Amino acid sequence: MTAVPPGRAARAAMEELAALDDVEFGVRLLANTPTHEGRDPELLRRWARAADAYGSALAPAASTARVVESDGGLAKGLLARYTSKPVPTVELFTDTLTLAEELTDRLGWRHWYPAGSVRAAAIAHEAVHERLHHGQAKKDLKLALDHVVLRAGRHRLYGHVAGADEIAAHSHARTACGLGRSPLLLTAALATAAEPQHGSPHGREK
Amino acid sequence: MGVVILLVMAAGVAAMLTRRLPTAFALVILAVVIAFVAGAPLTGENSVLDTVVQGGAPMLAATMIAILLGSWLGRLLDETGIAGTLVRKIVEFGGDRPVVVALGVLAVSTLVGTVTGSAPAAMLAGIIGIPAMIAVGIPKVTAAGTILMGIAAGMPFELPIWQFFSTALELPVDTVRGFMMKLFPFALAAAVLFVLVETRRRGVEHAWSLRSASAAPVSRRRQLGDAPWYALLTPLVPLVLALGFEVAILPSMLAGVLYALVTTTRPREMNKRLLRTLYGAFEVAAAPIVLFIAIGILLAAVKLPGAVESLEPLVKAVSPQNPVLFVVVFTLLVPLCLYRGPLNVYGLGAGIAGVLIAAGIYPAVAVLGLATSYNQVFGVSDPTSTQTVWSAQYAGVTPQQVMLRTLPYVWAVALGGFCVTAASYL
Repeated sequence: MTAVPPGRAARAAMEELAALDDVEFGVRLLANTPTHEGRDPELLRRWARAADAYGSALAPAASTARVVESDGGLAKGLLARYTSKPVPTVELFTDTLTLAEELTDRLGWRHWYPAGSVRAAAIAHEAVHERLHHGQAKKDLKLALDHVVLRAGRHRLYGHVAGADEIAAHSHARTACGLGRSPLLLTAALATAAEPQHGSPHGREK
Repeated sequence: MGVVILLVMAAGVAAMLTRRLPTAFALVILAVVIAFVAGAPLTGENSVLDTVVQGGAPMLAATMIAILLGSWLGRLLDETGIAGTLVRKIVEFGGDRPVVVALGVLAVSTLVGTVTGSAPAAMLAGIIGIPAMIAVGIPKVTAAGTILMGIAAGMPFELPIWQFFSTALELPVDTVRGFMMKLFPFALAAAVLFVLVETRRRGVEHAWSLRSASAAPVSRRRQLGDAPWYALLTPLVPLVLALGFEVAILPSMLAGVLYALVTTTRPREMNKRLLRTLYGAFEVAAAPIVLFIAIGILLAAVKLPGAVESLEPLVKAVSPQNPVLFVVVFTLLVPLCLYRGPLNVYGLGAGIAGVLIAAGIYPAVAVLGLATSYNQVFGVSDPTSTQTVWSAQYAGVTPQQVMLRTLPYVWAVALGGFCVTAASYL
């Protein structure tokens, strides 16, 4: 993706985005995630709300991953990335973070996203992914989503909802960093401000 | 004369490698030039026009029909939501364990690989499978490789491939099936190993993507619900009939088409769906069918008496007869089946196989062992093959990255195939 100064139409589109509620962005994220084709939008909304609530309620925990910074995030369409091997690492893309800060000022969203908060949110976001890959947290998220795929008497098997962990991570970042709105709003605005250049055609990096 | 033919072949490979000519066109030109160099007359017995062009073009007709039926079944798996449902169920049941999801998608790809090949097979399993794997944290190169390794694991059961090798190498289908059964464990073990090792080595990856919160695109897939559970057995139908009941290839595939239809479609919509998917299948099958026409023409050319006489001493001199040397030499030559190289069985490799048999250098079944082993490498790692290009690009990586990651595994499969060939048939 390449950053371009938002024109009048792009600015209007971003203002329209700001008028949506945060859960709607979660619904869009799920709808963009393969395996949810044909799902009832109301079901997606219920899952988005549950994942959002789960992420908000997660107790803050310090990330053990090392943090590195690099350029080229806009070309990849990424703001941050977590990789578990060879050592858990959070990679922050500085060009995307810079654009996010510029956009926040230009759109007058500074009261929602204080200076430097996007960087902190990115670290908090990726820390949730780290937690959701180990131990109890992923089981709790499954229970919160209540997606039962098999029942046998009293026993229930809960299914995985692809994309729900991403909503939880954004929601946790919002709460942990004291943001006024979900980072997903800023993400959608960034996508509008940046022109597609590279990336996977299925529309999601994650 | 043999040296001239080899030089002509080298020029053909160069034209394919540099992409100056599409493979099919290059093979036809190559065939005609080889025929002339071998002293074939323009018309009459063992001639350029009557034997090579007229006789060669329909030589692999049965394979072409099998390819068309495979593509038809593939279209049905897509349109009826069978392939998508399989992947969705896997993600729902195993999604919090990336390795389980990858193994599940691998299993679906293997099933799809038994039905159809090349890019359509990759699309069937990958359109949902690749992003679904990425969504649960599988790195992109591993996701693309999983689809390709899965399809390759299904390849020993792909009925159109049985038909191809049976016709091209003039072997009974039973013989082809027998060797494929021996090759399958290597292909499956490599595929499972790829998923286990690569997911462990590379761990998981999650990214904050700018596209994640964009408005969802409206697609036809959105309209598809889940296919019923019994429809999900469709890919097994041709396989069970051909393997278990020894029904011929084309009727087995037709049975798969009918099963997919009756388990997913209301009676009044059947005719429409059958025709729509059949016409769509022609589009999908066009490229491989053109290639098989060209391969037939090339095979007819290299089997001309003049070509066989010229090539026999040369090929004999460089072909190892000792079983150990056979394994070592052909294993070292594996990279020559990449980048449309001379050992690509859907290119000049088919011609070389024809020479090896026609000149009596190896028994036909040993050539089958060579060709199918190289096919396992080509089917996964060749950065110019349509399934590899599609999978890599769809995952957002380069075909070369996928080649480097998968090559050690499929090289090992080829080694296994050569060992079996040397032990059983030399």
